[in-house]
Amino acid sequence: MLLARNLSLNVAGFSLLRNINLDVEPGKVTAVIGANGAGKTSLLRLLTGEQKASDGEVVFNGRGIGDWQPQHLARMMAVLPQHSRLDFPFTAREVVTLGRIPHATGLVRDAQIVNDALQAVDGGYLDKRYYTQMSGGEKQRVQLARVLAQIWEPVDDGQRVLMLDEPTSAFDLAHQQLTLTIMRSLAEQGVGVLVVIHDLNLAARCADQLLVLSCGEIAASGEPGEVLTPELIRDVFHVEATIAVNPLTGTPMVLA
Amino acid sequence: MHRLPPRTFLIGAWLLLVAAVVLGLLSGPVSIAPGKLLELFSRQSDMDVRILQDLRLPRVLLAMLAGACLASCGAVMQGLFRNPLADPSLIGVSSGASLGASAVIFFGGVGFLSGVFELTAIAAGAFIGGLVATALVYRLASTITGTSVSTMLLAGIAITALSGAATSLFGFFADNEMLRRISLWQMGNLDSANWSRVGIIAVAVLPLMVLLPREGRALNAILLGESEARHLGIAVESLKGRLILLTALGVGVAVAVSGVVAFVGLIVPHLVRLMIGPDHRYLIPGSAILGAVLLLLADTGARSLMAPAELPTGVVTALLGAPFFVALLLQQRRKVLE
Repeated sequence: MLLARNLSLNVAGFSLLRNINLDVEPGKVTAVIGANGAGKTSLLRLLTGEQKASDGEVVFNGRGIGDWQPQHLARMMAVLPQHSRLDFPFTAREVVTLGRIPHATGLVRDAQIVNDALQAVDGGYLDKRYYTQMSGGEKQRVQLARVLAQIWEPVDDGQRVLMLDEPTSAFDLAHQQLTLTIMRSLAEQGVGVLVVIHDLNLAARCADQLLVLSCGEIAASGEPGEVLTPELIRDVFHVEATIAVNPLTGTPMVLA
Repeated sequence: MHRLPPRTFLIGAWLLLVAAVVLGLLSGPVSIAPGKLLELFSRQSDMDVRILQDLRLPRVLLAMLAGACLASCGAVMQGLFRNPLADPSLIGVSSGASLGASAVIFFGGVGFLSGVFELTAIAAGAFIGGLVATALVYRLASTITGTSVSTMLLAGIAITALSGAATSLFGFFADNEMLRRISLWQMGNLDSANWSRVGIIAVAVLPLMVLLPREGRALNAILLGESEARHLGIAVESLKGRLILLTALGVGVAVAVSGVVAFVGLIVPHLVRLMIGPDHRYLIPGSAILGAVLLLLADTGARSLMAPAELPTGVVTALLGAPFFVALLLQQRRKVLE
């Protein structure tokens, strides 16, 4: 559904990404991992059409990413950036309602979706609270609810995709788990999910497909069990690690 | 923070505006009996009615339109810059207009221009100065990848400093009479109100009042961040261009007819936001109405406080608005502490 073919990106004489090929499939969670500066966020910017690739192409629902009208694109693709700065005292409800801007589903339906999305991130109690007075984790959950509201239901324009850039960085253990559950349930509805994540064990637990970026290139890709090996972790992260099997989920577990 | 429902607030603001209009029409050096208002649109040659028709009404309308324009443009700028401290002067329009007006006063003062024509020339100079300054700031901040809001802020500061220096130079070389007029103009004054000026500003402000609130939802998205707004389907670059242009036009015209009335564009949106929250769909119309009220009250004060002499409107605006705003801030602080 979202395809990247031979993507390269050069900025100011530096080659940030080279030869990236990637399929984000509906119903699957794709996780991108890699060291700091490996190009994860740059890749996300190319995939969302925010930046144009120097070479190669991004195709979304059968059309070049740049050929979509912004509003139509926004009905199918929601993006949660790493940091969101909002210095104005919107309530949580108002922030999440912004996620419905691309749609014309009416106030009543929007209000329902906003309720559901807030509930989904365990944020029902935040409803009328001011964003500017929330904790970091609460803010991040409200932003997550906003992008969920944006792609809450199927649309006629095409299949939906959700992109998350380190969604769990400010979360406690319970909300990390909740985020994995949310990604999983969206995938079950047929949404393609792409998540950039630092925690290898979280990545291994949530992803159907793992993409390892190293210095702007794909170092490995495939199922977590195949990809996560001590050799790869040594090459990419320069850390000696042992791989065990998580006794609860059966997914690989990186011990370092 | 306790918020008012936006609709309640808007109704209250409209009522306040009606009261301010009545007050503005009745008070001044000559007090007029309220009953005369009924004859406002009659063709009588009664002295009071003539005062209402030829002097008070255009002045009241001018104050309303200029106030509405400055305050709603302020709301838009604060949203676009995602900064509650932004105001229209940030994009250089006020200082550019100042420079334009000072230049006309300086060069015109030699005696070519006089009377009504001179006033119109000053207004034209102000308008052109404002537009040129804004265009410069916008060009400086634009690259092929888009317009950088932070560069625009810095460019605005630089252009403001530059035109401020040039204005001071005109003041330095001007004779006493010119210097007095330049500084009077910078204080903001509505004493040259007449029907043709009302016409000029109405042509600019009325479309603005229709166009700006339509961008409310997009501005709400912009508050999240430009890239977030883009992901919500907002065409951010064209939105920015449109809003800067509309603001430059609106503020340019307002400054041209009323001089530099500072403060309204900064304080009114802030005040409205404290009362109803940052949703631009209500913030922009709310600021427009309250801006009209503030400037109207200030101008009524300017005409009446020391009658028959007049104070500069801009001075009264700050005298009235600043303590009120401080009181509001203190009240907010108390609520937060509780």
